[in-house]
Amino acid sequence: MKYLKSLSFQTAPEGGFQRVFDELSQVYAKEDPWGLNLAHAERTLRTVYPLYKNYFKVRLFGQEHVEDRPYIVTGNHTGQIAIDGMLISTAFAAEIKPARILRAMVERFFVSLPFVGAWAAEGGAVLGDRQNCLHLLKQKQSVLVFPEGVKGIAKNTSDHYKLQPFTRGFFRISLASGVPILPVVVIGAEEFFPFVYHPMKLAKMMGLPALPLSLNYLPLPSPVDIHILPAFIPPQELTPESPDKQIDESIEILEKMMEEQIAKGLEMRRPFLLNHRS
Amino acid sequence: MLNYAKTQNLLIIGAAGGLAQITIGLLSKHYPHIHLVGVDSRSMDHLPKKPEVTFIQMSYTRGNFEKIFRDYSFDAVFHLGRLSHTKENDKYTLTQRLDLNVMGTSRILDLSLKFKVQKIITLSTYHVYGALADNPVFINEDAPLRASIKYPELRDVTEMDQVATSWMWKHQGEIETLVMRPCNIIGPQINNSITRYLRSRYAPVPIDYNPMFQFIHEFDMARVLIQSMESVPTGIYNIAPSESISLRKARELIGAPALPMPISLLSPAAKLFKYVWAYPDYLLDYVRFSCLISSSSLGKYLGNDLYRFKTREALELLKLK
Repeated sequence: MKYLKSLSFQTAPEGGFQRVFDELSQVYAKEDPWGLNLAHAERTLRTVYPLYKNYFKVRLFGQEHVEDRPYIVTGNHTGQIAIDGMLISTAFAAEIKPARILRAMVERFFVSLPFVGAWAAEGGAVLGDRQNCLHLLKQKQSVLVFPEGVKGIAKNTSDHYKLQPFTRGFFRISLASGVPILPVVVIGAEEFFPFVYHPMKLAKMMGLPALPLSLNYLPLPSPVDIHILPAFIPPQELTPESPDKQIDESIEILEKMMEEQIAKGLEMRRPFLLNHRS
Repeated sequence: MLNYAKTQNLLIIGAAGGLAQITIGLLSKHYPHIHLVGVDSRSMDHLPKKPEVTFIQMSYTRGNFEKIFRDYSFDAVFHLGRLSHTKENDKYTLTQRLDLNVMGTSRILDLSLKFKVQKIITLSTYHVYGALADNPVFINEDAPLRASIKYPELRDVTEMDQVATSWMWKHQGEIETLVMRPCNIIGPQINNSITRYLRSRYAPVPIDYNPMFQFIHEFDMARVLIQSMESVPTGIYNIAPSESISLRKARELIGAPALPMPISLLSPAAKLFKYVWAYPDYLLDYVRFSCLISSSSLGKYLGNDLYRFKTREALELLKLK
């Protein structure tokens, strides 16, 4: 029955897009210094949402952990391109109330790309810089970070779902801003491109952060689960200037939480074929 | 701090420029007791004559420039005479621009110290920070000056700023010095690269990038300069409103027709169309990557309600001419 129900094509979130756009227009300025263009973000959401719901068949768990406040949304990076980021952002805009545009922190390489950089900025992406991040959090906006960095997506098939070591920047920003970390685990995105090899030396020679060689360059319709974990508040005894060793101890706790959720998520994921949406 | 009520003589360098003209107009209106001396190497014959204003046509790198300081005993100096990168200044090579901007500024500062000027304001530009993909939003005054990393043609811009700031710290006990780095100044009387670019008919507009810009109206800029002389202590200050606007939106507001094209074609196009489109190719990165500055330091002294013109109003006023 669930399978039959999932065959229906869903083009708009619960309550329709108008509810989402009304909420977004109350929070986000028409002219944003980082280049967010609300009209563009709305058009993108209208385009991506049917794919989110019907192609990737995203299931969202843990909405109850999200309050009406800013977060440093921290995800595991999977898949070869940042489709996971797009799906998380769609979930936070369309499925979580109140709707919000996650400001995805992206690599310098990404923002310098013609067309792509401008398109991403208009959709809310921001150069991953400490100052940018602090400014956004101060304005009560939520940011999306992938602390594994490029290593998270530049993985060979054998390393799928293995969390790469986190960098420390996001954690120090959480300490400096007092904004909690909201861990998010994505399951299903590694199967978008199931057979991948990364010639890292060649990528370096070409000045690219990664160079995935895959059998397919359009993502396969792997069903995706997004798990939102309870907010992680860094220990009070830490400060933004605490030594790396102390920061690393806390990051390890966060990584362990996320690894446990990855293991649980892998157990409960749907089959690749003949799956249902909810 | 300088007090206009007790000020007798004031020097304005670069007096033929649009911003200097507005500054002179406002000063003579509000402080008619102050004798204003305007110096520029360009002709000022067309400027309106007023009894409280004396215009002297002279290059400030010339030997007899010192005589002006000796004759007038200035209380304060506005150095607005930076040679900008407009089409009219194409005839100047980088070496000549370096000489005028760097050596000239150094001379003005040294003469101000020698003749016991109380306060000097030097006009620099936000261009010093450079337009780079990894620029944060917003850039503070202590950020490195990276404009000339990619384009050596911008060396005069950064070196002039560095000369002024290092001189400022060295002599901070003897003379008050402000180095101002404003965002894009626009207005009907301003003839800088960005104003020309915004106004040009069929100027190429990138379709592959859409950077954010900050604009300050020429009148607001002049008011900030005048107020800073009395109220702002020694230091480096960015000047920009908190509002920003995308390049495409700005062009749209002005209503000038655009030639949409990818930036990769813009550089050759700029060379090809240089006779009809005056925008130096080494400034192209400024229409590619955002370079937004924070003026919170200035806000501490002048307040945050500084500007009369909203960004949209300032842009729409460009339509009128």
